Amino acid sequence: MNRSTLIFLGATLLSTNTIANVEVSSIWQSEMSIAKGSEIQKFEHVWKPELNMSLSSDIDMTIIGRVLFDTQDNLGYEGDRLDTASSINGPLWEGDNFDMEVREWYLDTEAAGVFWRLGKQQVVWGQADGLKVLDVVNPQSYREFILQYFDDSRIPLWMVNAEIPIGDDDSLQLLWIMDQTYHDFANTGSDYQMTSPLLVPQPVEGIEVARFDMHKPDDVLKDSELGLRYSKFLNGWDLSFNYLYHYIDTPIFYQQLTGGEGSDLTLEIDAEYKRSHLLGFTAAKAFGDWTLRTELGYSSASYHLLENSKPEFITHRGIAKSKDISSVVGIDWQGLQDTMLSLQWFQSSLFDIEGEIGSSLVRPKQNHIVSFMYQQNFANENWQLEALALYGIEHHDSSIQLELSHMLEDNLKLWVTADIFGGDSSTLFGQFNQTDRLSVGFEWGF
Amino acid sequence: MTHKKQRTSGLVGNLAWLLVNYPKSVVIVSLMLMAALLTSLPKLYKDTRSDAFLADDNPALIYKNKVRVQFGLSDPIVIAVVNQGEHGVFNPKSLALVSWLSEELANLDNINSDRITSLATENNISGREEGMDVVPFFDDLTEKQSSANEVWRQVSDFPLYMGSLVAHNKQATLVVAELLDENNVEETYQQILSLVERSPKSVGDEIHVAGEGAVSGYMGSYIDADAQKLNPIAGLVITLIILLAFRRASAAVLANVIIAASVLITLAVMAMADVPFFVITNALPVILIGIAVADSMHIFSHYFDLQAHRPEEDKKRLIVETLIEMWRPITLTTLTTVAGFIGLYFAAYMPPFKYFGLFTALGVAIAWVYSLVFLPAAMAIIQPTASKNMAKKAKQQGHDQFASLMVKLGKVTLNNHKTVITVFALIMFSGIFAASHLTVDEDRIATFHPSERLYQADKAINHNLDGTNNLDIVIEANEAEGLFEPEVLNKMQALQEFALTQPNVKGATSIVDYLKQMNRSLNGGSRDLYQLPTDKALIAQYFLIYSASSDPTDFEEEIDYDYRVANMRVQFNRGSYQYTKVAIETIQEYINQQFNDTQVTATLSGRVNLNYHWIKDLGESHFVGLAISLLLVWLVSALLFKSFVAASFALIPVVSSLLLVYAAMVIFGIELGVGTSMFASVAIGLGVDFAIHTIDRLRATFKQTQGDWNKTLTALYPLTGRALFFNYIAIALGFGVLTSSQVVPLTNFGTIVFISVSTSFFASMSLLPALIKAFKPTFISHAFQQGEQNIMNTQTKTQSPSFARVLRSLVTLSVITSIGYLALTQTAQASSSPEAIEIVNKVNNVDDGQQVTRKLTMTLTDKRGKTRVRETLAFRKYYDGEKRTVLFYKKPTNVKATAFLTFDYKDTAKEDDQWLYLPAMRKVRRISASDRGDYFLGTDFTYEDMMLEGKLELTDYNFTKLRHESISLASGESFETVVLEGTPVSKEVAKDLGYGRTLVWIDTKTWVVVKADYWGIKDKRLKSLVMGDVRLVNDIVTRHKLTINNHKTGHQSIFEFSDVDYESEVKDSLFTKRALKQGK
Repeated sequence: MNRSTLIFLGATLLSTNTIANVEVSSIWQSEMSIAKGSEIQKFEHVWKPELNMSLSSDIDMTIIGRVLFDTQDNLGYEGDRLDTASSINGPLWEGDNFDMEVREWYLDTEAAGVFWRLGKQQVVWGQADGLKVLDVVNPQSYREFILQYFDDSRIPLWMVNAEIPIGDDDSLQLLWIMDQTYHDFANTGSDYQMTSPLLVPQPVEGIEVARFDMHKPDDVLKDSELGLRYSKFLNGWDLSFNYLYHYIDTPIFYQQLTGGEGSDLTLEIDAEYKRSHLLGFTAAKAFGDWTLRTELGYSSASYHLLENSKPEFITHRGIAKSKDISSVVGIDWQGLQDTMLSLQWFQSSLFDIEGEIGSSLVRPKQNHIVSFMYQQNFANENWQLEALALYGIEHHDSSIQLELSHMLEDNLKLWVTADIFGGDSSTLFGQFNQTDRLSVGFEWGF
Repeated sequence: MTHKKQRTSGLVGNLAWLLVNYPKSVVIVSLMLMAALLTSLPKLYKDTRSDAFLADDNPALIYKNKVRVQFGLSDPIVIAVVNQGEHGVFNPKSLALVSWLSEELANLDNINSDRITSLATENNISGREEGMDVVPFFDDLTEKQSSANEVWRQVSDFPLYMGSLVAHNKQATLVVAELLDENNVEETYQQILSLVERSPKSVGDEIHVAGEGAVSGYMGSYIDADAQKLNPIAGLVITLIILLAFRRASAAVLANVIIAASVLITLAVMAMADVPFFVITNALPVILIGIAVADSMHIFSHYFDLQAHRPEEDKKRLIVETLIEMWRPITLTTLTTVAGFIGLYFAAYMPPFKYFGLFTALGVAIAWVYSLVFLPAAMAIIQPTASKNMAKKAKQQGHDQFASLMVKLGKVTLNNHKTVITVFALIMFSGIFAASHLTVDEDRIATFHPSERLYQADKAINHNLDGTNNLDIVIEANEAEGLFEPEVLNKMQALQEFALTQPNVKGATSIVDYLKQMNRSLNGGSRDLYQLPTDKALIAQYFLIYSASSDPTDFEEEIDYDYRVANMRVQFNRGSYQYTKVAIETIQEYINQQFNDTQVTATLSGRVNLNYHWIKDLGESHFVGLAISLLLVWLVSALLFKSFVAASFALIPVVSSLLLVYAAMVIFGIELGVGTSMFASVAIGLGVDFAIHTIDRLRATFKQTQGDWNKTLTALYPLTGRALFFNYIAIALGFGVLTSSQVVPLTNFGTIVFISVSTSFFASMSLLPALIKAFKPTFISHAFQQGEQNIMNTQTKTQSPSFARVLRSLVTLSVITSIGYLALTQTAQASSSPEAIEIVNKVNNVDDGQQVTRKLTMTLTDKRGKTRVRETLAFRKYYDGEKRTVLFYKKPTNVKATAFLTFDYKDTAKEDDQWLYLPAMRKVRRISASDRGDYFLGTDFTYEDMMLEGKLELTDYNFTKLRHESISLASGESFETVVLEGTPVSKEVAKDLGYGRTLVWIDTKTWVVVKADYWGIKDKRLKSLVMGDVRLVNDIVTRHKLTINNHKTGHQSIFEFSDVDYESEVKDSLFTKRALKQGK
């Protein structure tokens, strides 16, 4: 990133001089977090300007920018991480504690009976909250692991998004994604660097990493992704059938041991991105006070790390390929005024593992996470209490996020949050067991 | 002894082993169940109103509320200023105090500031040459005594106010304040008391606060304070008795757990069933404490006895044996007690009594379950040992002092059985005689202890003035201005004069008094001219002149705006039923025979009339309840003993106790009132238990003694007698605690239950054995001949009670429970009146456009005045089977892009579909649409309000037409309206909507709703809605401004519609999830 974006931005802004119907709004967020051991983890300020304008009677444009500044340097911005952004994505400017980017920039129009959204945007699929099966169209930033709001952590992509209405209530969505940006993991050495053996290769004492290469498919046309979703409203059920031909956004770390017999053993790592077909289905319906939300996804390929103590680690370069079926069943209850309780059950099941080496996987073949959310509004929704707990059944690890927020003024929201992780340091949530934190912040809209 | 040595002991034995082998699970499940149910306890609410004693559909209550709405009359709070100095209250300082009080009262939230009546607010009517002067009495009030004298001169010359507002002896005057919402009176009463505290009193001034409003206001906190004192004392007394009986702390702790389960779960179920905590519900915990402990006392008694005799035996085994032996008598007594209370439920016509019967029965059943399930399990964990004293006595084959006492009683009884029978026969005859002399009476003020300030205030006011108890007589003419007819007015005058001749009636006021005063003023002021004008035109003119020279609302309390309906207020200085009954019955007879005709009718209403109606049937209800309870208990006993004779014997002690109570009531002058009338069911339910234990035990012993009558009867006393003695002491002292209550009816209630339970116990221990000795009934000997198993037999350790008997008991219990349940869930069905349906249809047929596009600005203001503004764009369109609505938030930035979509189906059986788009999640979320009564996105409108858009739903409400009314809104708009009252068709719907009642004002020109008031489920005023800026847009009547005030939270929402457009096309694609995401 990137001169092309700047030119596009400049050209569009110049061309809008004569156009009416411009709406500009901004959000300022400041948040300070104190991590375990009462050190200030971050004191972050984010400015999010948004511009909406009508370019003509039937073309609207939206630009959302983001400028981020942190006085602390525990989360890290620049350097010492994989550059996962594509050539047409990424920040406009990035400093040590500073980041400026165009988050979203798209045109909305209706042509030929089709609703088009063209440009850099977020597309959210699926019915689950927080647990992702089908919500994988956009990659995610893990700079603060899962603690950022999804809206902030999802990385918008350049794409063509067409929604074709069918009948009164059904529609077909087509996505053509030219932007090969992948998950953005936290910097090495920062507070939320991934260390769990489930996600990253583990160093072995005495074995040096001799080489690390990243192979990032980034051809706008050849590596583009395709998505289809058919949404149907039938007898009160919201149904959708999804298909996504995509690159898995997590790099696959192929590990090759070299040397030996006299020379020192060394490890060569090739980080690669692979494609997969994702087929999915979602269903949701309200029954009285209860709402059922479900989603189911089948991936033709998924890649998982092998235990480095097992012989298959060498023969399979540290990676097992398998198929995966994942699902989420969620139930919301809104039986009490101003209250919502939500319970979700996530499961992922690996099968058809190539080479039948399932017993050497770091992760279990069956993986389950349950989540529980409690949301309570008070005083005409001016106060809100939210508690979200996630619990990994196999590894007994957990994450609890508590938030109390208050709308002090029409445009001023204050909050205090606590994020607590539990479990062994080798587990998904447990790896951040030492990073529990308390935050206070405000959001000002103007 | 290990479990392997268990012998099969039939179904009960097996179940008992299950309990003692898995004790922790049973204890945990029992405690968890209790904890889970307790979560609903906070929903319990109090209802201490007198009105609560009448069913909501009682005609007298409905009429009283109608009058309240029509004339703005509530049960007022009456404040008296008394000064016994030379000039009485007619000195400048006292009058200034009256003025100060009147002004300060007007500032209180719940006081209707237009309805404060005092010397400071009322006008003098005097004549002058060119007409009539209507001038406030205090107009020329200065600090000089002469000006106070002048006020006295004017007031004393205005007969209307003498007695009603000012004492004839100058020493007292009233400030009468009507309430806006009678449900909030408790807080208002406290505010008034603090107002009185800081009022600028001068030497000699006394201020009294009384009136029915004050009574209601103080009743709640008064009774609360009392209950908070009584319940712990009752619990403590019971604990002490158990400690005394068994000398084991564990027994006391476990009994308290059972008490807690019984009381708390019962209250929790009340909360769940939405039954309020009435005044008399205060007696429920104390009663349950006494009853709940009885079952566990019998179990402990047997267990410790077994343990003392067989100290080496496995304790779990002893627990099982105890259960096998005791389950039947415990179940029998529970069934009869439940039957007694269910009898009260069926007989009572007042809701508080019905629920009292029902829920006490439930509490007794809960105690039974916990005693038979939780208690054995907990005992299996603790494994208590009998006290050393008991063990020693067991070794020596001796009795402790309590058992010895009972043995002595046995000796005396059995040696003199004929004397015993004769003494009880005398008691019963005198009781029958006394019962016919019982007086039924009730006086709300007598609920308070005579030392209470409120009690004394009431006495003071009733002494000095006309009285604090009001009877309203509503006079209705058959046409508008019908009250101008001199003939009608003369009849009213005659009625008023007649009412004044009645006992305890001290005053009466109506429009007649004003007219007479006006007539006199306009004709020179001579006292002879204090009479009604004779010409209809003249009367009409008087009203016109009056309204021209004063506030036109002055007469609102006395007459309606089209001069068709008038109210006459009659004041009594005594409020009790006995003191008002004669007057009410005589006035009603006068009205029927001499007043009502085709031209005009009169109807009684007001507090005094209402009290008359709910007390007049109390005596009858009491005896009917008594009969039903006796019958139920008799039937249940017969079923269980399989003998009607046995059942009849079981009732003898109870009947004797009831009759003794009646005798005592007549002797001590206790009247049959609200509190005391409940005693019979309680006495029957509890009293019969002693007899059942006695008979069951005798049947068992008769078999062991091989049919020896003397041995059988003697053996009754040491064990069963001792257990029943402690049972009796627990109950008697439990109720005895009530005698220390400050709530007078509860004191009376406690006293008579104490007497009746004592009598039942002694009769069961003396009269019953004496009768059995005399008659040797076959139900005891027959059991032996049949070789029937008996459960209280301590010698044969392991019997197997027949499955059939277990089944029979369970069936009986479930039948009783289901009757109770059915009774609880029955709901009254009514429907809208045809007239109201026609109006509703007119409202619903008002064109609101096939589609609409509009901007909606929501201004939300909290009680501190903080304001939030939301700007939205809204679209609505009708489809074949549904209405679709979508709302896009535009401002402020923080909520921008939030969107809300609804499909509202015509088919009401089909649930609406709703989606919410939250920009922070970038996801359209399906949300539940069932909570129609939930507030819509932080506003004061509910989802249902939003859906209806001013239409009315006949399937949810029963509507009735109340009246026509002209209303003027703050916006300056005024409407001729018809007022409908809507009551939800069922409790479920009410709960669903969050409204217990609604009033809607419908503009009769356009048939749109222009104003609405909503009451919550507990009939507290909840919200009021006012429409404004009503004008035509594209020929469609459009309400541009909706202001809704939430009285509960002090929050306000104003919805302002702008750029309303019914003509531009609204695209179907707007009502899609895609549009929600894209904001258009």
